Amino acid sequence: MSDLRAQLEEKKNSPWRKGMRRLQALSIDTLLLWLAFAMAEFLLVAFSGRRGDSGLLLIPEQILGQLHYAWLLVAAFVAATLWNLFFKLIGTSLGRAAVRGVLPEEENLPWTQTWRGWFLALLIELTFFSGWLITEVQLLTFFTKFNKASEIVRGLMHPSSAIFAEGLVLLVQTVFLAFMATAFAIPFAFALSFVAARNLTRGSRGARLAYTTVRALMNFVRAVEPLVWALIFISWVGIGPFAGVLSLWVHSVASLVKLYSEQIESIDQGPVDAIKATGASTLQILRYGVVPQVIPPFLSFTIYRWDINVRMSTIIGFVGGGGIGYILKPQVDLGNWSEVGTLVLLIAVTVWLMDFVSAKIRERIV
Amino acid sequence: MSAAAPTRNAEPGVAVRVEHLSKIFPDGTLALDDVSLEVREGEFLAILGLSGSGKSTLLRCINRLIDPSRGRITFFGEDVTAARGRELRRLRSQIGMIFQQFNLVRRQSVLQNVLSGALGRASLLPSLFLRFSEEEQKKAHACLQRVGLGDRASSRADALSGGQQQRVAIARALLQEAKLVLADEPVASLDPALRHSVMRHIEALNREEGMTVVCTLHDIDLVRRYATRLVALRGGRLVFEGKPDAFDDHTFREIYGHDAEPAPHAAVQ
Repeated sequence: MSDLRAQLEEKKNSPWRKGMRRLQALSIDTLLLWLAFAMAEFLLVAFSGRRGDSGLLLIPEQILGQLHYAWLLVAAFVAATLWNLFFKLIGTSLGRAAVRGVLPEEENLPWTQTWRGWFLALLIELTFFSGWLITEVQLLTFFTKFNKASEIVRGLMHPSSAIFAEGLVLLVQTVFLAFMATAFAIPFAFALSFVAARNLTRGSRGARLAYTTVRALMNFVRAVEPLVWALIFISWVGIGPFAGVLSLWVHSVASLVKLYSEQIESIDQGPVDAIKATGASTLQILRYGVVPQVIPPFLSFTIYRWDINVRMSTIIGFVGGGGIGYILKPQVDLGNWSEVGTLVLLIAVTVWLMDFVSAKIRERIV
Repeated sequence: MSAAAPTRNAEPGVAVRVEHLSKIFPDGTLALDDVSLEVREGEFLAILGLSGSGKSTLLRCINRLIDPSRGRITFFGEDVTAARGRELRRLRSQIGMIFQQFNLVRRQSVLQNVLSGALGRASLLPSLFLRFSEEEQKKAHACLQRVGLGDRASSRADALSGGQQQRVAIARALLQEAKLVLADEPVASLDPALRHSVMRHIEALNREEGMTVVCTLHDIDLVRRYATRLVALRGGRLVFEGKPDAFDDHTFREIYGHDAEPAPHAAVQ
């Protein structure tokens, strides 16, 4: 049957696939070199003391706006091409190492003896120093200017009782808001997670397409902050807790699908095979082979998600999504630090309690 | 015990015919290399070989848990390799399977696990709510009695010992009313003292229920004691076919390589 094996080999080494891998390696190298060149130019300009039109030192944002990105890209492409062409002479490039592996004689070399290693080290250094400048890290101010914030801290430490009752009521709303968002999310996440599990969707082209679609859609939904969802739903259903429920619901569905489907992907295949072998249909295989294995972790994830939703609903409240955040925002704006202190304390106690209880419950389930 | 299957092209006395079967896994492993054999109706066929010799792959090709790369398998004259969908499920429902790791649904009751053997003929909607007919439940209880676990019906499956779990798996095959039982190293994970109790139940499937049994084993003592016929695989190829007593030290070395030691205890691995 060596012809069968040869076919398999041939498929792996077809010119098209080979070409694709080369292209992949080249793209990775170009991208990394471009990053390195750009950060190097950024640091050079920053330390050269160059001044702008106003005569002041350029601030990092201005420098970022002035870098020669196009030229750097061309340079990076040329460098990457050369590195990929002459990799036998100067050692495997990072991109080639990632896509096709390193040459056998390089396998046991320490990083200090390859260009690849030095380049990676340099890239990390550049990132750190550029980051330091771009985020305007000021250690001196951090250690010397605490007194400016002391008023706030003092206020927080002396909570006022005036807002306690109102805060407590809204806290109850917060917990229920988080609960409803979680409850609404469960059926959707449950159904979608089977489609989003790779091990259940290998069967046919249609299944794989559904897998990719659901995964992509969920990744997108999850990438959009709940705060943004809240703004959308507030203009949809109006200010209030229901908008908060909806925005947390959307986000919970997406993140539960991810957690659930990863759990489905890690089940023991044995019982699935056993059920399949009895002649069971797809739905029966899911019901008997998959579901019993995933129910406890699903429960655990769901409780954990409720916990997260309580924390998130505070921020949602800031923009009008109901809950305790709704009255926290004006107090912050007015600088009533004692009132803020009360509310923060209430939230902290609730979050701590939820965390504690959910940990206990999850312990019992799994 | 089982329902009469359509017997077009069926050769009398042949349960399974494997023709030029090959399997290459996507990683390039050649697990089966042009294997042809027949399983006769009513026999207890043992498949012997080292781990990695392709025994397990061969069994799983018969009920299509694995799709073969080349070749053809017929089950009482019906082409298994070409079957799809409902047709494949009907064929599978006539083939029971017992696994080395038992593969019970651990969080379900013992009875529920036995009942899953009836999934192939159960109506869909009730089965999704774990409901089975009165009759099936009675049968399931009877099957548990047969393997000596009548009193454990409501225990959770993972509360049972390994030997007991394997007997539950046997009860599942019993309820399935299979014509053929595939057993993949059924006693390899068990304490040696428990092996015979499990093997005797599999033997009962063969002798008392008339089920044809194909069983992979790596212990020659067990093969000699239970099998009526024996085939051996090495590196995915069929290297021996015959009666267990024709299996001497020479053939033993043939299969296991020349470093293997057949005496005094012929248990391998």
